[in-house]
Order: sequence, then C-alpha cells, then structure tokens
Amino acid sequence: MTPIQPAPSRAPRPESEARTGWLLTAPALLAILVIALFPLAWTVWESLHEHDLRMPWLGRPFVGLGNYLTILHDARFWQALGHTALFAIISVTVELVLGLALALAMNRGFRGRGVVRAAVLVPWAIPTVVAALLWRFIFDSQAGIANVVLTNVGILHHPLVWFVHAATAWVPVILADVWKTTPFVALLLLAGLQSIDKELYEAASTDGASAWWQLTRITIPLLKPAILVALIFRTLDAFRVFDLIYVMTGGGPGTSTEPVALYTFNALLQNLEFGYGAALSVIIFLVTFALAMLYMRGLGLDLGGPRRR
Amino acid sequence: MRLLLLLPLLLTVSCTSGQPEDRRIVVTFSGSALGAEGELLTRHIARFEQANPGIHVRIQRTPDDATQRHQLYVQWLNARAGEPDILQLDVVWTSEFAAAGWLLPLDRWKPDAGAFFPSTIAANTWANSLFAIPWYMDVGMLYWRTDLLPHAPASMEELAADAHSARSRGVPYGIVWQGARYEGLVTSFVEFLGAFGGRILADDGRVVVDSPEAIRALTFMRDLLTSGAAPTDILTWHEEESRFAFQNGAAAMMRNWPYALTLLKSPTDSRVARKFAVAPMPGAPGGAPTATLGGGALAINAFTEHPDAAWKVVEFLTAPEQILDRSKLSGYPPRRALYDDPRLGEILPIPVPLARSIVEHAVARPATPIYSQLSELLQIDLHRALSGQLPPDRALHDAARDMNALVERTHVRELVAGSAR
Repeated sequence: MTPIQPAPSRAPRPESEARTGWLLTAPALLAILVIALFPLAWTVWESLHEHDLRMPWLGRPFVGLGNYLTILHDARFWQALGHTALFAIISVTVELVLGLALALAMNRGFRGRGVVRAAVLVPWAIPTVVAALLWRFIFDSQAGIANVVLTNVGILHHPLVWFVHAATAWVPVILADVWKTTPFVALLLLAGLQSIDKELYEAASTDGASAWWQLTRITIPLLKPAILVALIFRTLDAFRVFDLIYVMTGGGPGTSTEPVALYTFNALLQNLEFGYGAALSVIIFLVTFALAMLYMRGLGLDLGGPRRR
Repeated sequence: MRLLLLLPLLLTVSCTSGQPEDRRIVVTFSGSALGAEGELLTRHIARFEQANPGIHVRIQRTPDDATQRHQLYVQWLNARAGEPDILQLDVVWTSEFAAAGWLLPLDRWKPDAGAFFPSTIAANTWANSLFAIPWYMDVGMLYWRTDLLPHAPASMEELAADAHSARSRGVPYGIVWQGARYEGLVTSFVEFLGAFGGRILADDGRVVVDSPEAIRALTFMRDLLTSGAAPTDILTWHEEESRFAFQNGAAAMMRNWPYALTLLKSPTDSRVARKFAVAPMPGAPGGAPTATLGGGALAINAFTEHPDAAWKVVEFLTAPEQILDRSKLSGYPPRRALYDDPRLGEILPIPVPLARSIVEHAVARPATPIYSQLSELLQIDLHRALSGQLPPDRALHDAARDMNALVERTHVRELVAGSAR
C-alpha cells in the first residue's frame, strides 16, 4: 500500500498520492465491503433476532444473544459439532499420511511419471456430489459392490447395511472423502518436496544417514510450510463438510452422521429459521476462523514468509 | 435478505407483463405441470377459458419436488407477492400457509365441503375455515403378492406372519415400506400408528406420540425389522427403492402410494405384473386400518388482485368432471359422489369398491402450521428407534418432549384458539 516511489519532491505530493491510492483501491474495497463484510454483518444482525419465515405470526423480535443461548443447550448442535470434529480429525490425518506417501512416490524418477501425476488428480476433479453418489452406490445395498467384495475376501461374514448403523455409516463417508481429496494433499506436498534442495540428501547420504533419518530430519521439517497449507485447507474444508454427507447419509441414521453445516442448512433452508440458522452460521465462521489462527500460531510459521535454509 | 427473496419474484413478474392489448383478467396458476399432468392441466384450462372468456389463466410451472416447491412458495408469499394467484398445495402445507395469513379463506364462496371425504376437508381446514379445495387424493396402500399369499393380511399380526412365511419360502423380503429419514417415514408410521389406535396430536394440540398405543405401533415396526420380516435396508429407502424391490419380485408385501400401481402392472418392466393386488393396510387390536392421506389441493393467494377470478378457476378445476378426468393420472378422486359414477370404474386401475374402502380409511397428518418441523423431529427419533439406537419408548418419549417444546415455543395452540390472529 505504501508508495515505493523514491522521488524526493514537494510537500503536498504524498497527500495527493495517498488520495490516488485510495481512489484506486476503492473499487476493490467496495467489492469486499459489499460481498464479504456486509453479508457477514447482516448475518450477525439476523442472528440476534427470532426470525422464522414460516411463522410470520411470531414477528421478528430482537432477542439479543437468545439464539446463542439456545444453541448452548441444543444437544443436536453439540453432537453435530462432535461429528464434524471426528470427521475432520480422521479424514485429514489419513489424507495427510497417504498424501505424503503418494507425494514421495511421485517425487521419484520413473517412467510415465507425468501420466501418473495427472491420473492421480482424477478423483479430485470429479464433482463431490458425483463422487458421493458413486460411493453411496458402492456401499448401498446388501448386494452392493463393497459387500460382495468384502464377503468374498472373508472380511465380512454377512453383508452389512452400512448406512443403517451409526458407526458403519461413517466408513463410506470417510473413505469417499479420503479418496477424493488425498490427491489434492499429495500434489500440494509434491510441490513442497520439489523445492527441497537435493544437495541436502546427497550430503546426508555421504554421511551415511538412513532413509528414515533423511525423511524425519530433512524432508518433513522442510516440508512444514507445505504441510501447513495442506492442513489448513483440508481442516477448514472438512469442517464445512456438507455435500458429501448430504448425499451419502443425509445425516442419518437418526442424526448420527450430521455435521454442523448440514444442521445449519436444515435450520436455514429447510425450516427457514433465519435467526437461529444465522446464529449457527456465525458459530461455524468463528470456529473455522479460530482453527485457522490456531494453526498459524501453533506451527510457528507464517504463510509466505521467507524459507529458512 | 428481503431483497434476495424478492429476486425470483421480480423475475417472474417481469416475465408476465406481456400482451398489452389483452383486456382479459390474467390469473396465474402454479403447480406441477410436467408430462401427462401438464397436458391434462392445459386441456382443463383451455376448457375453462372457453367457458369464461373474460379470464386468461397462465400456467406457471413449479418444481415437481415438493420440498423445492414449498420453499419457493414460502419465499414468494413472505414477500407478499400477488402472483401466482392459485397455488397447488400438498395436503400438509395448508395450515402452515393459512396460519401465516398467506391464503384466502374460501368460506365467502360457500364451497360444498360435504361433497368431499372428511379427511381431505380436515387436512385443508384451519381455525374452522376451509383454505384449500381437495384436488386429488393419494393414500397409502398395501401391495401384496397373490402368488405367495392366499389373501391380503386382515390384521397386523397376520401381516407379520405372512412376511415370515414368505421369507421361509425364499422370498428375500417379507414387507417393505419407506424407512429413510424423511417425510415418507412418517407417512408409513402413521399407518402403523393408526392401526394400533395412536395419534400424533391430540385435539388440544398437544403431542401425544408417546402414548402406549404409539409405543406398541413403533415396537411392532421395530420387531418386523429385528425379526427379519422387513430388511434393515429399508431404513435408507424412499418410495422408488421400495417399488424396485417389489417390482423385481424380492418382496412379498409393500406399503406405497397409488402411483406404483400402473408401473407394477407394466408387463415389460415388472416381474410381478400379474402376481399382485392391493388392499388397505390392516388394523390391529385397539385401532383401525389406516391409510395416510396425501395428495394435492388448490388454494388462493391472500395477496391476489383477482380473488373472484381465481376462485372460478379453482372451482372449475375441482368440479366433478375435471376431478374425474384427473383420476386418469394417479391418485383417487376426493369427491364422494364420483365413486357411484360408472365412468370411474373405467378409469381406476383397481375395482371402485376397493378404492373406496382404502380412501375411506384415509387419515390426515396433523393439520398444524408447524407440521413440517414436528415431522422432522419425529423422523429423527423414529429413525433412531428403527435403526436400534434407542428403544421405541425412549425414542417416542424424546420425540414428544422435543415436539411439545416446539409447540410451546411457537404458540401454535394459542393460534388454534384464534387469539394470535
């Protein structure tokens, strides 16, 4: 934002320059105001009201933090938050480990590497709803592909109705997410790997360091920024998970796979409870925001900062 | 937010303001108007315009999916849009829209409510006024395999026994219904509930779905699942999955709506084309055979500029001739006298006396403005009970507690008394 013109000149110049600067950034600031800040402020304002589109007889009374207090005592919300955390932790962990393995493999020189790198991205390129329908189909009926394969291999004795039990309903959901987003993580990490200086490995090898030592002492520390980016993207995405679960389980059985985003969608767009739904949205916003801050601090890194060698 | 809601409205309004020379009053009809349904509607509207040269009816297609149509209507009416003038309502929406003040009470035109089945009138009545005229009736029925069972089960006990005996003879599923967590689960439940003598709402508007009768009904359903008479797969099934199973010969009995009938009779697609019949869902001790009422009704937008013209359209579309003609699609006529009309026999795919016996058992789901929210709460706990997460009594107790809390919070009982309007 500060002018980098070194030109030494008369006194009023910086002022007019500042004005030009503001003028030039005004459209962008206005756009941010209109499309980001205004809706956010409006949502916060809405969340302080009891506003139910389907019950106009209740009016739209100001209730202060009433909606938030209700959320505090809303068992379904806390369960949904728990489900979201469970989903985020398991899926992101698996995706990171698998993604790292994939990235390491793709980083080696072998014939057809370009093709493999492109092919790996296919699941990620498939729209989530399509992927969800695909996995739903695989696990759906007792005669579904998953059941047939697993019983033939001998892992299952009877075909399982996956989506009917709280615990098993998570399996296809997490599998689908891992299948779909591991390539994305792998690619991010691959980019990180390629920026590591090869000489470090050569030096380590000369000193007789084992492959494991090289991985844990060179690769992973230097990969930290890339891991951080992947973690932030994936955790925030996982925290807002909606379409995958909406399509696969609809939050069921009961509400045992319902994430906060689905619960909010339900309140906001199914039941048209604008006040309560807005309060839920604000909470999701705060939680994701806090998560992002936590990562930045906790990992002791600032994004885009200079790489230390 | 208001502005956002207005957007679809502006679009529709800008589309409608053509034909400046036309002096006719223009009223807009909105509803599902695809395929055969659309053709039939266009034909009826043409007939109407011929008889009423001063009125032009524009058909505005809305999504076929009920939930989407509902959302659209709520947004329009919240913005107090005067169009569409005529709304096609699902039976469970009437009280919601009426209580919101979005519908015109039809009493001033003195509709002949006595000509319709009482259940259809009850579903479309709110605070002692009629707000929508029944257009067609959907009712839950029992489809059963004539090659596997000697006769339709006469009681719930027999139904369970039939399901087991069919299974022991190698049929994969004894009975199937709609068990996924959605409105269909409640429609299925209402039939078991009525069979055992329970209800969802008492006359005073309190939720009584945790009564001993209701617990017996839900326990019976759960036992069908745990004993294998019904597959647990149905807990993810909607209407179509149930129909596929029955159509492929995998199920001995099925609960479903009348639409399945024509499809199941198709000799090319159906393996059971000549091997099934329909019957009312059976009763049980303490209750009566029950068919959940579904279907459509026509109502008038409270913000319309042409109430009388709109009424003429509604009156015409729900007149005996048009309703009779509409029974060619699916569903049954809500007008009682039509069941004595010999022409109905040629139209309905099942014998008229059988149709009458099913339709007479129709029970409306609770006519309350918060029906959808109550239903959602009930769906969750029904699904928990049927998937084994909670015992039936606990589940229904939880459901009743949450539902009653909603009833209190929204003051609907006072609304019924008329104090809030």
